[in-house]
Amino acid sequence: MEPLDQELDASELELPTEPMLLNVGPAHPAMHGTVRIVMELSGEIIERCDVQVGYLHRGFEKMCERGTWTQVFPYVDRCNYVSPMLNNVGFALACEKLLGITVPERCQWYRMILGELARMSDHLTCDGAMAMELGAFTPFLWMIKGREMVWEIMEEETGARLTHSFGRVGGMAAPPTEGFKEHTRAVVKHIMSIIDEVERLLLGNRIFLDRLENVGVISAEDAISLGWTGPCLRASGVPYDVRKAHPYLKYGEVDFDVPVGSASDSFDRFMVRLAEMRQSARIIEQCLERMADKGPVNVDDPRVILPAKEEVYNSIEGTIQHFKIIMEGLKLPAGEVYSYTEGGNGELGFYLVSDGSGTPHRVRIRPPCFLITAGLERVITGQMMADVVPSFGSLNMIGGECDR
Amino acid sequence: MPSFKLDDKDIPFEPGDTIIRAAQRAGVDVPHYCWHPGLSVAANCRMCLVELMPPPGRPAMLLDVLAWDDLHQTYVPQKKPKLQPACQQAAADGMVVKSQTSEHAVRARSAVQELLLLNHPVDCPICDQAGECRLQDYWLEHQASKKRMRDEPVHKPKGVVFGPTIVYDAERCIMCTRCIRVSAELAKDPVLSMRERGNLNEITVAPGRQLDHGYTLMTEYVCPVGALTSSDFRFKARVWFLRSVRSTCVGCATGCSSFTDFDPRNQKVYRYRPRENAAVNKYWMCDDGMLDYQRIHQDRVLEARIKTEGVSDAAALDKAAELIKGAAPQKTAILLSAEHSNEDNQALLDFGKALGALQLYYTGRPQGQGDDILKSADKNPNTAGVLALSGGRAKPFADLVAALKDGKVGVLVALGSAIGNPNDAGALKDLKNLVALSSHDGPIADHAAVVLPASSWAEADGTFVNRTGLRQESDRAINPQGASRPAYRWVQELANRLSLTLSWKKVAELRALSQTAAAPSAPPPSVPGAQASTAPGANG
Repeated sequence: MEPLDQELDASELELPTEPMLLNVGPAHPAMHGTVRIVMELSGEIIERCDVQVGYLHRGFEKMCERGTWTQVFPYVDRCNYVSPMLNNVGFALACEKLLGITVPERCQWYRMILGELARMSDHLTCDGAMAMELGAFTPFLWMIKGREMVWEIMEEETGARLTHSFGRVGGMAAPPTEGFKEHTRAVVKHIMSIIDEVERLLLGNRIFLDRLENVGVISAEDAISLGWTGPCLRASGVPYDVRKAHPYLKYGEVDFDVPVGSASDSFDRFMVRLAEMRQSARIIEQCLERMADKGPVNVDDPRVILPAKEEVYNSIEGTIQHFKIIMEGLKLPAGEVYSYTEGGNGELGFYLVSDGSGTPHRVRIRPPCFLITAGLERVITGQMMADVVPSFGSLNMIGGECDR
Repeated sequence: MPSFKLDDKDIPFEPGDTIIRAAQRAGVDVPHYCWHPGLSVAANCRMCLVELMPPPGRPAMLLDVLAWDDLHQTYVPQKKPKLQPACQQAAADGMVVKSQTSEHAVRARSAVQELLLLNHPVDCPICDQAGECRLQDYWLEHQASKKRMRDEPVHKPKGVVFGPTIVYDAERCIMCTRCIRVSAELAKDPVLSMRERGNLNEITVAPGRQLDHGYTLMTEYVCPVGALTSSDFRFKARVWFLRSVRSTCVGCATGCSSFTDFDPRNQKVYRYRPRENAAVNKYWMCDDGMLDYQRIHQDRVLEARIKTEGVSDAAALDKAAELIKGAAPQKTAILLSAEHSNEDNQALLDFGKALGALQLYYTGRPQGQGDDILKSADKNPNTAGVLALSGGRAKPFADLVAALKDGKVGVLVALGSAIGNPNDAGALKDLKNLVALSSHDGPIADHAAVVLPASSWAEADGTFVNRTGLRQESDRAINPQGASRPAYRWVQELANRLSLTLSWKKVAELRALSQTAAAPSAPPPSVPGAQASTAPGANG
């Protein structure tokens, strides 16, 4: 397209020759509520832009320094609030790394299943919203229906749809419910059929493809230098997945592939997420197969695990154990630890510093979104204004995690 | 210096030291219940058992025991070393001691801890000691196992009133006998003893007696568990909500080091605890001192007053300035207080100097009973400090009474609340122009034309000089109550109204000033008082 202002001098019209400044957000639905982008437009092309984050900053890393280690779980729930279980497990694993304990096998399988379900919920939301933002409302409704089924499992297991606070240092708040395996199998099957249908609807749609293909491209080198991880990095062809590269829990024992893209565009990011959900389903099936129906979920360590209520009420030993963990908090040995897992958006890291007391000295989170959002400027500069929406959507910026 | 090895760490010791004492000095904790550094050794709790390695070339002292074999489900004969209590075992040069690294000592401690909890009631939720209880700490550190006994625990008397200050719970008691030893050794009143045997034994008061000597709260303080509780503190606060600051007891001229425990949420002080200080109080405080915190919240002057009517700070300051302006410098008198810190007194002294006031007096709380353990008869924390600050120029209250009778005093600016002899209060009644900086109601505030509410010792940092001339600092615990402010702040405000220039602006400057002012004088007498009137320079 020819630039609009080419013939301005000769024209009767006095169109502005200055670039136009356009502000979008932070309170704009396409900005997912929390990001502000100031763009310098030449016609419809973005010449320069400034991405501003921090509007959802709640200072929660600082808040962590007030309570006990266990009281951090509700805060991490509110990081990536589309897949809170992944944050719960990530934080629990970090504490356990510092304590030098490993949870029982049953708990490891359980954590993996819940985590992969959470990843599905994350990807369903992101891909669904991308489609919706391009005008395809039906796939969004279908995918959100699938997410709703995941959340029903979560509600049955944890009592809460969204903010579960279900992880515990040394285990989980409760063992799996009786119908957990059956329920999960049914839901995963249903979600797979939803994904198939969504694929059929969208991948033959010219509008959808034109809006995503070769839009929002970022090279693998740029993505790596920006610190990108997760689906966004893999869409650029880099097969880095913490679950494969540095297996934790039982990821080393299950069979799954790491889907990668090649064109590094918004479309590849969409497709990588779809493919990852299919891998999650594979992982879940293997975990369900191998998770025992009986056996302990929590470690047998009185320093970190609360005693049963009968013991608290009826024996002094139980009362003391309960008192110590609740009033003083379980104590992590003095020292520091970095522990990282594959979150919904990439490498979710927890860097903990403990002074040996029951209260965290420092809880630092490496939010995958924050680093990905740092690349947004590079992704959209030079693009059409209208392409900001799907490009931004494909990065899956989650305000809670990005701004903390 | 000779030394021994404790868990591979070299511990130096002085001849005569026990293992636990030397270890404590070196900052290594050996778990213990019954041992207390200020008391004799009882060695009855068995928590501090350690393994002594035999000297080179000598066989270990081994005991024949039966150990349970899980595999064969039977007892098998075994040998284990004879463990020794670290609180009783004298240290010897080159000795090798194993505490945490000895498998036998670790097992023995776990067993001791389990035994102590065998009949312990499920009382943590209603026990004052919870949160600072050795049983809780050591369960986690040394036992960490569940209850194995399935029988009904032995029940013993609960809520036994031992005396006016102490309530005893025999079920929680671990029979460490620390309270018995405190009564006998510190208070020199062996009123407590142990009766019965085995799991029926309990602490008891001598027949016909109550636990009522002057150091009863120390029995509660040394109690490592919740068996002895103070009737004053009982059910008042949970210790994990309290915060502590380092303070100095202002109950008498001894100036015991203490902790002030307060609740930051409601800004109330709940108790004192002794703070170890070898130069003053060792590990102890007397009952009067322990309960002296109550005065922080009792009979306080919390708003500025003109006569008996409450007024705004500004109105009171205006009135005070007017009264002071109305009198000639030679008829202006300054009354210092031995109840208040060096900072408060120095500020008022400076104010008097700026005014040109020539008459300088001091007073404080009346004399009381002393003893030869800790208590002083002088019930003021800073008599020595005041005398040193004024360079001996301050005259006792009796001289002020005489001056008042002679009509030599036009206006009196007085710090403090109490006067040395309550019978002299009548003399103040005739004084029309008394400006008082009082923290508490009392003869001075009662007869004042203007009262400015001063903060108590818990509401401002302050320095006090005790009877031996030792300067000690006491930290602020709570915010100033009501409209009160530290007395030196009132003095500053007054000086501003009178356009006087003081030689300090910040508290740090004031403190430095009080230190240099007090430095040249000779060490003050241990029981200051009457001689002060003959001190030279009163008019110079």
